[in-house]
Amino acid sequence: MSILSKLKETAICLNAGRVTMPYPFESKPVPERFRGRPIWDHVKCIGCAGCANNCPSREILINDICQEIRILHYLGRRCTYCGRCADVCPEDAITMSHEFENGTNKITDLQQRLELFMSTCQRCGRCFKGQSPLEALKMKGYRADDLANDRWVFKSTAYLPGQPILEDLTIELEG
Amino acid sequence: MVSKKLQQLKDKFGSAIQQADVVNDMRLLVYIDPASVKPICQYIFRDMDARYVISIGSDDRPYSGKFLVFHQFAFDKEKILFSIICQLPGENPRIDSISGIIPAANWAERELKDLLGIEPVGHPYPKRLVLPDAWPDGHHPLRKDFAWNKIPEGYDEEREFDFDETPPGCTAVPFGPFHPTLDEPEHFRLYVDGEFVRGCEYRGFMVHRGIEKLSESVLGYNDVPMMAERICGICGCVHSLAFCQAVENGAGVIVPPRAEFIRTIMLEIERLHSHPMWVGLACHLVGFDTLFMQAWRIREPIMWLAEKITGNRKTYGLGIIGGVRWDFTPELIAETRAVLDKLESEWRQVVAAVSKDKNIMARTSGVGMADKALCKEMGLVGPVARGGGVDIDARRDHPYAAYDRVDFKVITHNTADVWGRVVVRMLEVFESINIIRQCFDKMPQGPLVADITTELPAGRVGYTSIEAPRGESHHFAITGDDNRPRRWRARAPTYQNLQGIPAMIKDQRIADMQISLGGIDPCMSCTDRMETIDIRTGARKSWTKAELLSLSRSRKG
Repeated sequence: MSILSKLKETAICLNAGRVTMPYPFESKPVPERFRGRPIWDHVKCIGCAGCANNCPSREILINDICQEIRILHYLGRRCTYCGRCADVCPEDAITMSHEFENGTNKITDLQQRLELFMSTCQRCGRCFKGQSPLEALKMKGYRADDLANDRWVFKSTAYLPGQPILEDLTIELEG
Repeated sequence: MVSKKLQQLKDKFGSAIQQADVVNDMRLLVYIDPASVKPICQYIFRDMDARYVISIGSDDRPYSGKFLVFHQFAFDKEKILFSIICQLPGENPRIDSISGIIPAANWAERELKDLLGIEPVGHPYPKRLVLPDAWPDGHHPLRKDFAWNKIPEGYDEEREFDFDETPPGCTAVPFGPFHPTLDEPEHFRLYVDGEFVRGCEYRGFMVHRGIEKLSESVLGYNDVPMMAERICGICGCVHSLAFCQAVENGAGVIVPPRAEFIRTIMLEIERLHSHPMWVGLACHLVGFDTLFMQAWRIREPIMWLAEKITGNRKTYGLGIIGGVRWDFTPELIAETRAVLDKLESEWRQVVAAVSKDKNIMARTSGVGMADKALCKEMGLVGPVARGGGVDIDARRDHPYAAYDRVDFKVITHNTADVWGRVVVRMLEVFESINIIRQCFDKMPQGPLVADITTELPAGRVGYTSIEAPRGESHHFAITGDDNRPRRWRARAPTYQNLQGIPAMIKDQRIADMQISLGGIDPCMSCTDRMETIDIRTGARKSWTKAELLSLSRSRKG
């Protein structure tokens, strides 16, 4: 009997053939709903901080450095790609991308930093981001007065693939 | 039925029963006088023949000035989950230990002492369990006045493990923390006489992450399901949904029917990938790698399917309080059916081959014995109990999600050894396929999430049992203020099953140790980082992400 079961097991193996994929030499496209690294769209973001409030791994920080400027910082270290930030975003500013090969020794490869210009409500004193293009232009002109600052603003507010945003955080591996 | 049980208790103990809370036909909370906890638990466990589930402690001092201890029992035939509640004074809390009469309570009571400082008086083995040996005395992390990120003063990193004395005539053989066939950090100190294991001491909790503390201090109801999913690499969805169910049970949230069906389907998909994986691992542990490979190959389409449905192979991110996040489209349903058909035919071949394989049978028969008596004493659950002929299954006994609307068989086997567990797990795959097909047929249309408009009420007790692939997972939650639970306790099936291991391996050969432990699925993840150093010049080079990617794509490397 045992011989028969061994033959059956051999048949299973022979029928299957070779199934190993040549990853990482060739990568397979991921399904549509795949949740990879979250990516912020700084144009759509209104700075409501819903993502920061709902992040289970507390990876999204919000700093108000003054009344007009709010910094949103995605740290990307222990993010679990659960997609709650994208769920709760009222403006669909966060997309769960299809990027999953995030092995890196430079944490800044994964980080994102958004600088949001918030308008101040004359009545309540609280802020929301100016949304009209005219207003956005005005904001830009205001910032462009300082050229050095402008460069920094440009780099930090847009998502630039392949370019680290901050150079100061590099993980040094001990030799 | 619930009132009958309550009446029985009242007749027997009278004034010791202080208050009872009959939630519904399936849940009962009884407040008792802590002084008579021992006779009452003995009566429930021995005379009323309840199954012991878990003991839970809670620091209720900010609200009522007291400590609470919950002893959880289950009446499986009557479909009742039953809770005994003792209120202890806020100063110097002590409670009579029930480990003498219910051996399964051993760990839970040691945990009470470690994490909450509730002294189990008369505990037969009052050794530290959860906290490391280096942890200073008198600091109890689950107390409310202990900050979640505090490291107490006096933590002595140099201190070594405090092991028991080896019995005379035996040699101590360390097994773990990192053993070639056991990839998870847990340490068994085996007392070996010649080739036979005479006993063991277990040291574990090396990857204790304090999730319960986080849930009641930092996170909220929305976040905890995502964290609960990371309790386990295999039964992640189980834990996340169990947390949701416990809170829904406590706060009285009604889940929409479509969400219940989707939960059922995903739980079964999780079982479908877990059982082939475990059967493969069991084969691997006895040195039969061919079948290990084939079982994992057959499992792989299920993982792809899960990825298509939820966006990830394993951490589905499915559950939130009041519903689910992902829906099934008609295309997905058709695709799932096709995958299930293929899985069924392939798995049938595997079962036909394995069930007659004398080699596997010889390695697993009579190994890791867990008979009915041991299952009762140690509270063993899941395939371990069902392999020993104990007919329990939380899906049928304590129905949740949509399990009361589908038909399925509970598979049992009466050999009580590892072979019995292999058989149970292999046959359960067909039942899972059957359940998913029924769910597709019966799934109604409707919303995915309940419309929760008000804050969830605080101070409610909710508990639930979910049948994970490895056994019954029991979650307990007390709802709280600030949009987060006041206390949450997740009891995974392995928590009980591991306590049965010393009895299972006693007087067996040391070579059978791995397969006796085989029910504990290893899971480990790691991220490789790379840096190159030129030996001649000593120059270092850090690789950027883009370089690493292109390097991995090119075959030359």
